[in-house]
Amino acid sequence: MLELLFGFAPVDIGTLSLILLLSMFALLAIGMPLGFASAFLAVLCLILKFGPDLLYGNFGRGPLAVLGQAVYRQMVNYVLISVPLFIFMAALLERSGIARDMYSSLNVWLSRTRGGIAIVTSIMAVIMAAMSGIIGGEVVLLGLIALPQMLRLGYNQNLAIGTICASGSLGTMIPPSIVLIFYGLVTETSIKALFTASFLPGFMLASFFIIYIIVRTRLDPDQAPLPPEDPNDPSANEKRMMFLGFLGLMGLGIVAALTLRNLFFTLTGANQIVEGVDPIKLGMVADLPYLAGAFVLFLAVVFGLVGKDRSLKGWEMGKGLVAPIVVIGVVLGSIYGGITGITEAAAMGVMAVFVIGVMRREMTFEIVWDAVMRTMKSTGTIIWVTIGAASLAGAYTLAGGPTYVANMIIGYDLPTMSIILVMMVIFLIMGMFMDWVGIVLLIMPVFLPIVLKLPVEELGFLGQLEKKHVAIWFGVVFCMNMQVSFLSPPFGPAAFYLKSVAPPHISLTDIFKGFLPFIAIQLVALSVLLIWPPIVTLLLP
Amino acid sequence: METQSVWLGTLRAPVRLAMTVSVAITLLLMGWLIIDSSVDMNTMVRPEGNMVAIATLWSISISVLLSAIFLSDNKGSIEVTRKGPFDILALVLSRIAMIGTIILVLVMFYEVVSRYVFERPTLWANEMSLWMASFLFLLAGLYAMQQRSHIRIYIIYDLFPFWLKKVADIISVTLILFFVYSLVFGSYNTAKAKWDRFEAFGTAWDPPLPATLWPGLLILVSLVALQAVVNLITDWNDDSTHSPADEIDEIEIENMRRAVEEKKDA
Repeated sequence: MLELLFGFAPVDIGTLSLILLLSMFALLAIGMPLGFASAFLAVLCLILKFGPDLLYGNFGRGPLAVLGQAVYRQMVNYVLISVPLFIFMAALLERSGIARDMYSSLNVWLSRTRGGIAIVTSIMAVIMAAMSGIIGGEVVLLGLIALPQMLRLGYNQNLAIGTICASGSLGTMIPPSIVLIFYGLVTETSIKALFTASFLPGFMLASFFIIYIIVRTRLDPDQAPLPPEDPNDPSANEKRMMFLGFLGLMGLGIVAALTLRNLFFTLTGANQIVEGVDPIKLGMVADLPYLAGAFVLFLAVVFGLVGKDRSLKGWEMGKGLVAPIVVIGVVLGSIYGGITGITEAAAMGVMAVFVIGVMRREMTFEIVWDAVMRTMKSTGTIIWVTIGAASLAGAYTLAGGPTYVANMIIGYDLPTMSIILVMMVIFLIMGMFMDWVGIVLLIMPVFLPIVLKLPVEELGFLGQLEKKHVAIWFGVVFCMNMQVSFLSPPFGPAAFYLKSVAPPHISLTDIFKGFLPFIAIQLVALSVLLIWPPIVTLLLP
Repeated sequence: METQSVWLGTLRAPVRLAMTVSVAITLLLMGWLIIDSSVDMNTMVRPEGNMVAIATLWSISISVLLSAIFLSDNKGSIEVTRKGPFDILALVLSRIAMIGTIILVLVMFYEVVSRYVFERPTLWANEMSLWMASFLFLLAGLYAMQQRSHIRIYIIYDLFPFWLKKVADIISVTLILFFVYSLVFGSYNTAKAKWDRFEAFGTAWDPPLPATLWPGLLILVSLVALQAVVNLITDWNDDSTHSPADEIDEIEIENMRRAVEEKKDA
């Protein structure tokens, strides 16, 4: 039958692209799993290109070998291993009480501030985002912890909902981010550079949220009533001093750990100055005086300025922040301290969460096993999308597809920024219906070559992006788009996660209504990235 | 862990005993190997003639298999109920992958510590992680198929009448079979050649990664296709509709709620 249909192979690339696109819509519409639909279309693409005779002439060889190679290449991709490990880490984190203690600790400092719990929620979301890069669990946790508090105090419901979901989605915007890992894999961009580049935009978005909360609650204080005054609560000034004492103690701990590390290197001779070898950061003998100086400074703050008792009281109130900071230190410290790559950093993160959980006496075999089971299920889901999309991208590239599409778009001679805008609209619309994994794996191999061919000096309106940074910039822009997709109706996953933990009287429509101002903020942040692209390169070396 | 048996039934207790014994033997053998410095990781990957190494490898395999069989007898809170005998295979294999994930983390941790703290990087840890992970991915893919957790878009599908849903399912499964057939068609010779040559990775430790992964890939992808057919048959009378809320499972939320609330009681 295939011969009858396509006996005149090969088909020209324009027709082929159109057939693939339409078939993709048709297969997804009849409910075929995304990964398998892409995998089948890879075969279809090869048939249209080479004709069935060439493909199925000789068993065991021929152009179909491309499929096996595409799958094999994904399976032996070292960076891809970080994906299950980060999922594992997030699954363990969800079940530990780390998040709850962090909330109590943050809340102590900000309980007398207007809109305090909403601000605490945002800050907490940023910290959780820096621990792992998975959303879903984050929204559920914030919904369980912060939503009842806000509703009990009489916060505006929309404000509470929007804050939780918008902040909870930050997980993929602040490194480590699983979206950026996939983007880096697909486009062969440095993942570490992507992480570095997304720091500022991520924090910018988070601070937009916080500024919005502050402004909104100042303009209309009824939206965020303060909790009743607690006579035992220390005064604002006292609290400030205690917080300073807490910071001092934490600084002492960090400096002490760094000093021990430095002394260890000095004893083992690992930090000897060798020509051509980069010095270890803060690990050289010459760094010791600085560490000692910092140690004395923190000592002075704790015992001199704040006083021992107050510092200890501050420590008691703030110690819930220590575990998250240790986890962040282990994961991001491993990556940026040059100790490990992304994959091993994820494994170290798993160990860190596990050890902290054991120290808190929370880890049991059941929790670990449940987490690893969850990991396998999500990994299996993602891996088949990866396999399918890799096969399709491989086959389509073999047929010359991406070049054809890129040349066609460039050939229209549209203004650069309007091409980018059209892409943004496509991302936003696809994000409403499709998972980000599918978008990054299927659309990126087509879109990025186009962006790379656009004249670099016409990207953005302010400042100038360097040619080598375009792929990184586009990755961060894509990530910002996906922020919107988590909230956008009708299928924004954050809404469904929150619905599962919200009181029954809050309907899905209420939830999406609460999102609207926050989606607007996300779009503002997106336009900052588009208008001023160099923001992503500020932290890059 | 005393829960309802999924498939072992009365065999549960004997399997548990066999698992305990084999794990104990494995630990003893591994302890022996740590003391006996004549056996290193190079011997472990090419153990020809070394009785202790061969015994250890066998005992590791047997204890992982037995643990996987025993653990597959417990249904996880997030898992769908087993619907047919073929599901057992996917369940046991998924348990091997889960044990493997834990071992993978430990291997990476060992490597980072020995490289960074003791400055004695291992030659084997990276390749071992890669080798293990490649199989984990394939096994996880089969597990996701058995658990019906693949990403699908149900907006239009849910509007179909029952018969049309079944037609759509048959088309889907046929196309999956067609893909797997094409994959095996194109790569059979490669896989066979690599296996016959027992091709190694070409690195210092030199594990037979291509030799094992190529056939493993074709076999496991074929199993996924088979599982798709089995799912089609076992789900034949299923006419449920779907919503994104299905993604969220109540038990997990309940567990998290408990983790959050524990402190308030104290």
